[in-house]
Parts: sequence; structure tokens; C-alpha cells
Amino acid sequence: MAKSKTVVKTPKQKITKAYMKRYWQLYALLLLPMIYFFVFKYVPMEYVLIAFKKYSIVQKVWEMPWAKNHGMEYFIKAFSSKDFINSLRNTIVLNLLDLVIGFPIPIIFALILNELRFKLFKKSVQTIAYMPHFLSWVIIYGLALQLFAPTNGLVNMAIMKFGGEAVPFLNEGKHWVGTYIGLGIWQSFGWNSIIYLAAIAGISPELYEAASVDGAGRFQKMWHVTLPGIKPTIVVLLIMALGNVIGSNFDRPFALQNNLVMQNAEVISTYVYKAGIKGLQFSLTTAVGLFQSVVNVIFLLSANWLSRKLGERGIW
Amino acid sequence: MKKKVLSVLLASAMVLSLAACGSQSAAPAPATDNAAPADDTAAAPADTADTTEAEPATASELTDGKFAETRHITVEVYDRGNDGGSDPTNNMYTEYIKKGMLEQHNVEVEFVAVPRWTETEELNNLLASGDAPDVCVTYSYPTILKYANMGGVIDLKDVVEQYKADTPNMWDWLGDKNVLWDKDPNTGSLWAIEGKRAEQQRIVTFVRQDWLDALGLKAPTTTQEFEDMLVAFRDNADTLLGKDAKKMVPFSVSYDVGWRASNIITAFKDPKMTDKEYYVNGFDDRMLTEPQTKEAVRLLNKWYNDGLMWKDFALYGSGDSTEDDMMKAGYVGAFQHNWDYPFRNGEDSINANLKRNVGENAKFVAIDPFENSEGKHAKWLYSSAGDRKIFFPTTNDEVLASLLYVDFISSPDTIKYLQAGDEGVTHNVLDSGAIQIVAAEGDAIQNSGKNIDYTITCNGTWFGSADLAALSLAYGYAEIDPADVTQADKCAMADGMEPANVNVGEITAEADAGDTLSAKRDQIYDNAMSAKPEDFDKVWDDGIADYLAAGGQAIIDERTQKWEATYSGDMLP
Repeated sequence: MAKSKTVVKTPKQKITKAYMKRYWQLYALLLLPMIYFFVFKYVPMEYVLIAFKKYSIVQKVWEMPWAKNHGMEYFIKAFSSKDFINSLRNTIVLNLLDLVIGFPIPIIFALILNELRFKLFKKSVQTIAYMPHFLSWVIIYGLALQLFAPTNGLVNMAIMKFGGEAVPFLNEGKHWVGTYIGLGIWQSFGWNSIIYLAAIAGISPELYEAASVDGAGRFQKMWHVTLPGIKPTIVVLLIMALGNVIGSNFDRPFALQNNLVMQNAEVISTYVYKAGIKGLQFSLTTAVGLFQSVVNVIFLLSANWLSRKLGERGIW
Repeated sequence: MKKKVLSVLLASAMVLSLAACGSQSAAPAPATDNAAPADDTAAAPADTADTTEAEPATASELTDGKFAETRHITVEVYDRGNDGGSDPTNNMYTEYIKKGMLEQHNVEVEFVAVPRWTETEELNNLLASGDAPDVCVTYSYPTILKYANMGGVIDLKDVVEQYKADTPNMWDWLGDKNVLWDKDPNTGSLWAIEGKRAEQQRIVTFVRQDWLDALGLKAPTTTQEFEDMLVAFRDNADTLLGKDAKKMVPFSVSYDVGWRASNIITAFKDPKMTDKEYYVNGFDDRMLTEPQTKEAVRLLNKWYNDGLMWKDFALYGSGDSTEDDMMKAGYVGAFQHNWDYPFRNGEDSINANLKRNVGENAKFVAIDPFENSEGKHAKWLYSSAGDRKIFFPTTNDEVLASLLYVDFISSPDTIKYLQAGDEGVTHNVLDSGAIQIVAAEGDAIQNSGKNIDYTITCNGTWFGSADLAALSLAYGYAEIDPADVTQADKCAMADGMEPANVNVGEITAEADAGDTLSAKRDQIYDNAMSAKPEDFDKVWDDGIADYLAAGGQAIIDERTQKWEATYSGDMLP
């Protein structure tokens, strides 16, 4: 009796012996992922210290001597390095372009698909749009070369056939940025639209019926019913995208870049790879990586805070 | 009941996962432990040195060159990923090595493949994780230096002397010159043993003989004639290539302009450049910061903008076969590369492909058109040292066995077998006694020219004797006319300059900058070559300024300072 009383009385459960006895299995289940995160995500974090130390492969991380300038040597070095500043700038520019151009496209695509009534057509369009997501960037670069190479690329050959000048899609900085963004959107918009389609499917049909009764047309329904219906989803994804604004994936820029466009194509992840793993400057690049992570967390937290301020739910 | 079963299951899953985690997280620890007392392992041979000196019998561990118990070592081998090549860790030649090492020294050899074109990255990963092979090979001395400074490489200065009696072949073949080439004059440390180049030929210009013939041209003998020839190729593309005329590339380079236009850049060099100036700018062999290089690249830039060169050159990275395929298909008129480049790979060689794809007369032949201000066709040769460097990481606890491996691989018999293979299978012996290489199949295919990936102390034709090598050089390429090889050899050696060894101690700035600068160097070359003519000066000057700021200047300064500390004049004694 006493047990049930406490359950009823307090909205917040007190963790009592009896409670644990009843639910311990649930906590035991949770323990597994927690151990996983601890061992594989938190324990390796001790190596973040490398950013503040003079790295040596033969010493444990605790034994390495501290770097100069109170351990900040490598941060100072990074921020006085033109290469790092350049890759930081490129990372932000490319990611912002991705966000501004690439973020709305899956939403628009999902809205359009949702309006289609011919099922078979809808499904096939959807499937075809997903497919590029499963291609690796190396393959996409191979395709891009076949299409956009200045002399042998199909597109440029067509342009020249009609008397035009070859467009340096891949070998001139600004054009390359366009190609990079375009390929990124092509690869992912179909896949990214899945989550919006799912959200749209969750909107109650009654809302549409009510809107119809009120005399709303197709576009009005889209604007006043569908979009507000998926707004929380959009906000959550936007927060996650903002949290990644100076993050960068590796394979896309790495596969697409070449010597002629490095001024616009070097991003933090590829810089870390080249300076750190190829150039053996482990401390320097750990410092860069740490900086990147910290900024990402700040972005994530502020985007989340902002969305809650604006009355949305945020991600936690 | 169900609940009980579930809880038991859960509990056991937890215990298991904990155990798994335990062993997982424990695993790296011993690895670092192994690596941690680097000084110990490095010191260990020195200890044994003391004991062996105490006992008069030097071969305390070896009886008749053999270990009492079988030892096991791992050896790095390049994986070139050739189409139709053999497995680099398991073929006719690895079998020979394994068998030989086991019989002569009771040492088991295991090969570890490392991709040739990303060797530095791969080796870094292996070294950093403590998984590097016992016998490592690389072209990059800065990589070795970097790890040596962190205590990750065994100092060989004592062991090479200590085991001198056990390694006669190594000392005979490499000599003091190559074994001690990298010995630091200040500290005496020896981090690596230099392999030897049996061939000093470096880079040659090739041109399509059949195109010259078709247009009634003579082989060019000056830079201007070479340019005129390229223009003639371009203007007569329709005659030469018919419907593929648009695909013509009169002169081809890859992203690595410093290598692929090396003879042009060298021709611009002031013949009176001092040894000091050459050394100071000699961080790598691409001559980026030498004063003449800008004008050489300006010429390339002109050719590029005149439509004489391949526009897509920078889009393909190292190891990509697109450019080779264009040569094989017959679209390329001329190029510069390693002196035997179109002859390599037997039936898949560029010249053999041309013969098949284009016609009986289609082939690349060597020419030597670029003259310097003295009218000489000056070009760099290889030094007989300065090839691959062999080093042992501190994770190697079989130093003697590893040295014995270097010894075994340097013995005349081994080199001969690895280069020539079995008679009747991979070579024939001509009446003159010369060895003629024939195309091999399956297991007997050599993935690298003259099997240099296995003969890590020997690069180039040797066959165990210099005379035999000289006699056989022209017959060293299956499917290739010996006269073409002889001509390439002549062009490669004409007015050749051999770089001298300048060893003034470690240049610390190089270990820091190393690979980053090499990448930057290629970017500068590529961007300058493909810039608009009016932008050329800006692109080049900005690039060089960036290169110097990113570490190039620090290297030049340190080299200057150490040169001045070691030598009195501007020339080597």
C-alpha cells in the first residue's frame, strides 16, 4: 500500500529501495550504453590533453611535457598560421552555403512530393532521389570528373560543341565552390527529405479537411497546415545543422579538392589530416580539433537556447 | 519465470561486455608499455654489445649465421596496386626471400604491404599505433627524423658496427658511404641506412617518334625547337589523330610539375650556382625556391596558355593512371619522366600499348633538347645514395635478425634472383651473356621495375655485378627495342650532374614542416603554370611568399647557418 501511495503523491518519483527493486532491470539495460560511451567516448578524451602537451609517441599522455606558453603554444601557432585561418574561413563559408542553399531544398522537395497523388510515380521519384545518398564521395568525384573536367568532361564538351568556352567547374576556386555545393545537395536532398515526409504523414487529415471546408486552396493548405505541422521537425534539424557550422565531414571535401582550388577547398578536417597525420604535427592538429569541437558545442547550445526563447521546443 | 531468465541473460550480457571492455581498454596499454621504454629497447642492443665484447665470441646469438631458435620479423613492402600484378606479400620472390632467410639465418619473414602512393601517411599510422613492421622503408627522411626525435626509432650507430662481421654483404654492397650516409656529424646518431642506386639516370624527355616522322620533323635539339615541335603537333592534330584531334596533348605534365618538368627547370639554372646555394634551397629535389625556377615555369605557363598542355593535369592525384592511359592511347606527344618510364611493365608498358593501339611504328623515344646558358644539356642525376632509407622502429625487438635481413637482401645472389627471376621464365641469357628480361605471368610478375620493392638496398639494374648490369641494361625491358633503351640511357646521362652529400647535422625545421611544404610546393607549381599570363607574376610571388612563411624560410635559414658552421666557402671542399 505504502508503495502505491508514494507513487500517487509525488509527481517526481523518489528513488527508493522498493522502486529500484521493481525497475532495476531497466537501469541495467541503460548501463550497457553508458559503459559503451564511457569506455569508447570518454576515456579516449584524455588524449585531448595532447593539444596542451609536446607530443611523443613513446610516452603516455600524462608523461608528456607541457607545451610552451602555459600549454597554449599550439593554439597560438594555429591562429598565427595562414593555412589554418584559411581552412577555418573555408569551413564556415562552405557550411553556411550548404545551410542556406541546402537546408530548404529537402523541405520543398518533401512538400512537392506530398502533393503528388499518383502513388507509383511518387514512390519512384522518391527512390531515385534517395539513391545518390548511398554513393561514396570518391565515386561521386569520379562522376564529376567525367562530367565536368575541363577538356574531357561531357558537359564541357557539349558547351564547346555549341561554341562556348569550357567552364572550369573543378579547377577554379569560385566555380569549384558551386560544384561542391551542388554535388552536396544532389547527393543528400532526397535522403534528408525522408524525415520531413514522415513528419507530414503525421499531420492529422482532419486539419486538411477543416481547411478545405474553410475554402483553403492547395497552396494555402501547404502554407497554413503542412508547414506549421512540420515546423518542430524543421527547428530540430536546423539546430543540429547550426551545431555543425564549423564542423566538417572529411570525405566530401577531401575527395573533391585538387591543387588548383586549395585556396577555397581546404577545410579544417582536411587540414587536420594533412598537417596532423601526414605532417606529423599531432599536438597542433589536436588543438585545432579541440577548438572546432568547442565552437560547435557553443553553436549548438546557443541555437537551442534561441529556439526555446522563440517558443519552440529545442532538442533538450 | 520469464523475468528471471531475462535478468540472468542481462546480467551475463553485462559481465561479458564488461570483460570485453576490460580487455579492449587494456589492449592499448601494453602497446604503449612496449613503446614507452623506448630508451630501454634502444639501449638493449648496447647492453648486449657490452656482453659480447666481454666474451670473445662475437656471434653469441648466431651459430653459422643462424639463430638457435626461429626468430620472426616483419618487413614492409610497397603495394603498388598494379592492374594484373601479383600479391606483393606472397609471390615467387617473397617465397625466395622467406626460404632464404629461414635456411641461412633461421628467421621467419612476414611481409606487410604499405600502399606506395600514400606510404608516408600509412607509415605514420603504423608507427603511431606501434604496429610498424620491424624493417621499415621510406623515401621520406623527415618522417624518420620526426619519430627519431620522439624516441620511436632505434639508433643504429652501435649495432651496425657491432654486427659488422655478421653482415658482410650489407657492408660490401652499401659501403661506409651508404650505411653511414645519415650519421649525424654532431651527435653520431644513425637513424637509417641508405639504399643504393645502381642506376643514376634520372629524368628524360620523351617524344612520339612516329609523329615526328609523320610531320617530317627532326628530333629537337634546343628548347626553341622543342617548342616549335609542340606547336607543330598542335596545329597538325587532325593529321596525327584524325577524329580524336581534340584529345591531343602536345606536352603532358601531371600535378607534380617539379618532377615532370625537371629538366626544363634545370636547364634554366645558372651553371655557376654555388654548392651552398644549391644546398640551401635543396630541402626537396623539386627546386621550387631556386632563383631560376620562376622563369622556367613562366615558359610552361606560356605553353599552357597556348594550348600545348593538358588542362586537366591537376585533377588527378598521385598514382592515378589517367595520364598514363592517355599516353597509351596515343594522345600525348611529349613528356618528361623517369628515364625508363615508357618501357616499364612489359606487355603493359606505354610503348607496348602504343604498338597495339596505334600502330607498329608508334613509340616514345628519348630526346635531349633543353640547353642551359652554356649550351650544355645539364640535368640532375641521382646520387648513388639518397634513395630509400631503411630504419627500425623501437617496437622492433629483433635488431640482429632485421640487420641479417638487410644483409640477405643485399647479397649478390639475392639481388640477381629478385631482379632477373628464373631463367626461361622471366629472363633468357643471350649469347653475349647479357640477361634479357621477358614478360612474366602470374606469380612471377614483378610489381615494380627490377623488383625494387624487394631489393630495398638496391635501386636499378645490377644483377649482382656491375659488368653484367651494363651488358644487360638495354635488354632489361620485355617487349622493348634495346636501341630505345640505350638511347634513353644516353640522354639521361648526357651532361649529368651528380648531387653531393652535404651532411651538416639535423635540420630541425624540416621535421616540423615536411609534408605540408611538399603539398604547398605542388599547389604553387600547379597554380602558377595554369594562371593567366598576366596573373603569373602575382600567383608565383604570392605562392612563394606563402611557402616561405609556412616554414620554407626557416629551413633555408637553418641550412644556411649550418652550412656556414661546417664549411668555410660557398663550394664543397
